[in-house]
Amino acid sequence: METVILIVGFLLIVAGCYCLIRTYHLLKVIIGVEVAMKAVTMFVILAGFINGKAPLAQAFVITVIVIEVVVAVVAVGLALNLYRLYGNMDIRNLRKLKG
Amino acid sequence: MEAVIYICLGLMLIFGILAVMLRSLLKSAIALAGASAMLAIIMYLLGSVWAGIFELSVCAGLITVVFISAISLSNTDKEDLPRLYEDAKRMAALPAVLIICGVILILIVAKTSFMLPAAVPAVEMADTFREIFWNQRQVDIWGQVIVVLTGALTVVALFKERE
Repeated sequence: METVILIVGFLLIVAGCYCLIRTYHLLKVIIGVEVAMKAVTMFVILAGFINGKAPLAQAFVITVIVIEVVVAVVAVGLALNLYRLYGNMDIRNLRKLKG
Repeated sequence: MEAVIYICLGLMLIFGILAVMLRSLLKSAIALAGASAMLAIIMYLLGSVWAGIFELSVCAGLITVVFISAISLSNTDKEDLPRLYEDAKRMAALPAVLIICGVILILIVAKTSFMLPAAVPAVEMADTFREIFWNQRQVDIWGQVIVVLTGALTVVALFKERE
């Protein structure tokens, strides 16, 4: 079971990174990051499960979740500002920003 | 228990792939919430109850609400999305990439007889988690407070009205 969790986690990281590389939509980029972070969270829980230290893993995962939320909220704020400026959320527009 | 974990893993993978592949952002956000819910069940079954509760309430709940608010605030015409971002064309190769990666990983596991060590029985949960979270990892809590405040201040700065 542990090995299957590991393989599924790697596949999710690949899907998230592929989305990061290929999409131009900023919200989709954030969704890609979220998908990859889900896999990382699962790895931490799996490590805690294998070592018998689930409480310590949970403490780390709660920290990861808080950081994940803040990253998502700030990125969504950035995306909405981009939309206000250019009328779309194309990340290529970020290159045009100067100061 | 293992059967439920396998089912949840499969569903999580499907929801994760749908989240990055679907053209509609609303459906993507809902698929992401589904992946979070499946992860919460896996966490619960692996003995991380508190982390599962956090995952379900914060990731499946709050983040989905944030995404849906952002989608409703930016009402890009549905017909314009493929023209603007060309996502369907650019993401089309993802299933093939995942199948290739999956096959490679399974081959590596089979050839090297790779096995993770068997799980050690966990020590009793509730008290230990409380002790670790509030006493041993206190620095993490202060770090979380600082990160949340930084995030809040950043959002305020991003949404400040221009003069």
